[in-house]
Amino acid sequence: MDMTPMIDCVFLLMIFFVLVIDLSQKNLEDLILPRAEFMEPDESPPEGRPIINVLQNGTVIYGGDVYFDPTVDGKNYKKIAELLLNIRRDGLAKETLHLVEKDGLAAKVIDDPILIRADKWTEWHFVGEVMKQCSQPQIAFWKVQLALSDQDKETNEKNESIK
Amino acid sequence: MTPMIDVVFLMIIFFICIEFKVLESKLDAFLPTDKGSQSTVVEPEEQLSIKIHVESKGVPGYKAPGRAGVLNPETERPYRFVLKGHRVRYEVGPKPLSTLQQVKAELDRIAADPISQIPDKKTGGKKLMSCVIEAYPGTYYEDVAKTNDAANAAGFTEVNFGGGLGEAK
Repeated sequence: MDMTPMIDCVFLLMIFFVLVIDLSQKNLEDLILPRAEFMEPDESPPEGRPIINVLQNGTVIYGGDVYFDPTVDGKNYKKIAELLLNIRRDGLAKETLHLVEKDGLAAKVIDDPILIRADKWTEWHFVGEVMKQCSQPQIAFWKVQLALSDQDKETNEKNESIK
Repeated sequence: MTPMIDVVFLMIIFFICIEFKVLESKLDAFLPTDKGSQSTVVEPEEQLSIKIHVESKGVPGYKAPGRAGVLNPETERPYRFVLKGHRVRYEVGPKPLSTLQQVKAELDRIAADPISQIPDKKTGGKKLMSCVIEAYPGTYYEDVAKTNDAANAAGFTEVNFGGGLGEAK
């Protein structure tokens, strides 16, 4: 019996699913990030790092679900705070997030990073609002990371390093 | 022929999928942890302020069939737009500048100036002062990211984000 086509197909399916599962777990929305030369490569991010997506119109998406939509909620940013509180509670329960071990802090601060992914044409005040909510004492995510890219998919500009 | 087609298929799928995956990186921004607790008195340090003002807000350009306020039925997300004619002007310290190149040159000059060195309380030596990016209402993430990149390129290691809260008029 000829096994080769079967092995080929299985390989193909394996690669397909590995990549697709990897994508879906990262909870990444289809955004175009701003290009920057100076940044840290996002290698081996901690497992279970929360990723907050901010769309162009300011919509906040976490895990594929919309949590805050400025066209509906206007300037009522409470929903962002609730989302972050839920992420904090779930993360602490599942032990993907940990509290900082340091005395003298009034707030119980989370020591793990949180990634904010915003489109390059997202108004900065929406990003700033998420950061402001992160710094609220009851939420207290202090390691905020802003997602950047080494190529601009809109203009196809690339960094020197990958040309 | 069959093995060749198989392999080509495999490569097509691999490269299609890899396209979304790579090329992301991050900018660490640490928020103050000691909000609300006044245990220590911190002396204010000298900071270089980089202000970004909006000159012209720009017009969102949609690719057909996209338009504003409508969701893309395939993704259930709003259509993506490209902002056209968005222009900002900058203010580095007291100096008004109109292009990012000028900002880069000015930041390079300031970073090289010995006056910009301030005492480092941790080591007792000297260090380059920190800078604060003040994004005025109506500025976009792109503007802030590019300005931050220019500051990093000039050698500023400590960049703060200020302002920016509030919508464009």
